[in-house]
Amino acid sequence: MSSTSTGSLPPGAGRGGGAIGGGGVGGVGGRGWLSATSVSSSGKRIKKEMLELNANPPADCSAGPKGDNLYHWVSTIIGPQGTPYEDGIFFLDIVFPCDYPFKPPKVTFKTRIYHGNVDSAGNLNLDILKDGWSPAMTISKVLLTIRSIITNPDPYNPEISSIAQLYLRDRAKHDEIAAEWTRRFAR
Amino acid sequence: MKERSNAKHVAFKKFDRWRRSLLRVLMCVREAPTIPNATERTDSGCGMLLSPGFRSAAAMAGWDEEALLLATVVVEDTPVRESRQHKRRRLRTPLSTTSTRKRALRRKPAVSIPPVVLRLDDDDDEEQAADRGGETTNKETEAVVAVDGAKQIDKEGSLSEKAPIKRFPCMDRLREELSCAICLEICFEPSTTSCGHSFCIKCLKSAANKCGKRCPKCRQLISNARSCTINTVLWNTIQLLFPEEVEARKRSSAVAATPPGGKTQSSSSEQNNSNTNISSRSIRRSAAQASSQVTERDTRSFRRRIGPSQSEDAAMALRLQREEFRMAFQGSREQQLRALRSARANLRAAASMTVYGRLRDRTT
Repeated sequence: MSSTSTGSLPPGAGRGGGAIGGGGVGGVGGRGWLSATSVSSSGKRIKKEMLELNANPPADCSAGPKGDNLYHWVSTIIGPQGTPYEDGIFFLDIVFPCDYPFKPPKVTFKTRIYHGNVDSAGNLNLDILKDGWSPAMTISKVLLTIRSIITNPDPYNPEISSIAQLYLRDRAKHDEIAAEWTRRFAR
Repeated sequence: MKERSNAKHVAFKKFDRWRRSLLRVLMCVREAPTIPNATERTDSGCGMLLSPGFRSAAAMAGWDEEALLLATVVVEDTPVRESRQHKRRRLRTPLSTTSTRKRALRRKPAVSIPPVVLRLDDDDDEEQAADRGGETTNKETEAVVAVDGAKQIDKEGSLSEKAPIKRFPCMDRLREELSCAICLEICFEPSTTSCGHSFCIKCLKSAANKCGKRCPKCRQLISNARSCTINTVLWNTIQLLFPEEVEARKRSSAVAATPPGGKTQSSSSEQNNSNTNISSRSIRRSAAQASSQVTERDTRSFRRRIGPSQSEDAAMALRLQREEFRMAFQGSREQQLRALRSARANLRAAASMTVYGRLRDRTT
């Protein structure tokens, strides 16, 4: 049983790669047959992470594949208590690159959020999703980091500087607007 | 019919016993700290290990003297480093696909006919106990004494250690601890960074290539990510604790290791390839006599993947032989006879093929 499954792995992985190409994940064009092995290893790793996330998900977070495409996930983060984002449900899109643990996943907010580190398109200004990425990171760690930056914005590395300045100058007003946005978009 | 199968059983009993003694002896040899050169160790091991018991058992299984000798010749000039690693791996996990041919030869019966060995294992234990009590000229004890009398204590210690290992209560924690943070699986051939974190050597290398030379865990600079070595203590521990996982990984990596095309090969080695291709075809022809689908599939993949390196060749030949032997002891008696004959022929062909290849390599 196990021997047959492992024996048929590379071709299966190859086909999986093809299906992903059909699914239309960004940056597929560069993936040729050469990276078939890396696709299979990244797929394995993503599967492992999925199981781990299902077994013990981090607080206020959930994540899983969107459809049958393992490389395209959707995730939700519930606004942490005691913040203006409280009780909001924020959807995020996660796209894994084909050489995943070695390159960071692309995470974007699908729900609008009034936050100095998230731009209007939902892109996050997060070090660990860029140069600070390490292959030892997992999606659950990434989600926890996002959750903590929702709680404590970093106004010194802003994506939208006006929000960051407002946060520094008039915290109360910032929180008010953020709560208003949360009511409007995240519920 | 009965007689024959009895004889076979006896042969395998012998083989199994021999295998065990080999394991013990190898363990003792490995643990000898004063001998610096690994080739010396293996060589001394070889002379001693090709015991008369093995010879007769091999003869029963259909390998003649010539094939054995050829096999020995083939293995003798494997690189030192590799042979040491192989030996270690072999000690812990009986099943392996990447191997030198001699070890493959020795191990084959135990590996390829699990039902027979399993059944023998049980009554063999009792027999061994009786043997040990009765006669002192037991092959096993002889072999052990030949190495070093004092080492026997070591051996006994390690054996008694082995027993409780299988049921650790904290297996899940161990699994977590011994997992590679990059692939999230049990570390396969772990390598430890200068900052003390361990990853699969492959994972660490690709991390160094793709994400810069920093430790994935603590971001400290790694000075020698490309020339990293396997942490043998850790690797042996992992092999002892998680033999199934390691085995599965080994198998899958052996399949994945065969590259899809030999484009980078030079013209001379291409010629070499075509040569191997021909001989493999002849192997296939003789194997076709046995007319088993399994073998056919295997041989075909053998041909398709005919690749650049000789170790790959050897791995393929080994797999082919394994299939043949498995088949040989499944079918009826006539089939067995025929299959054995063809297996013997193939073995010889493969051995001579490799020897030829090596000679060629040396001359060019």
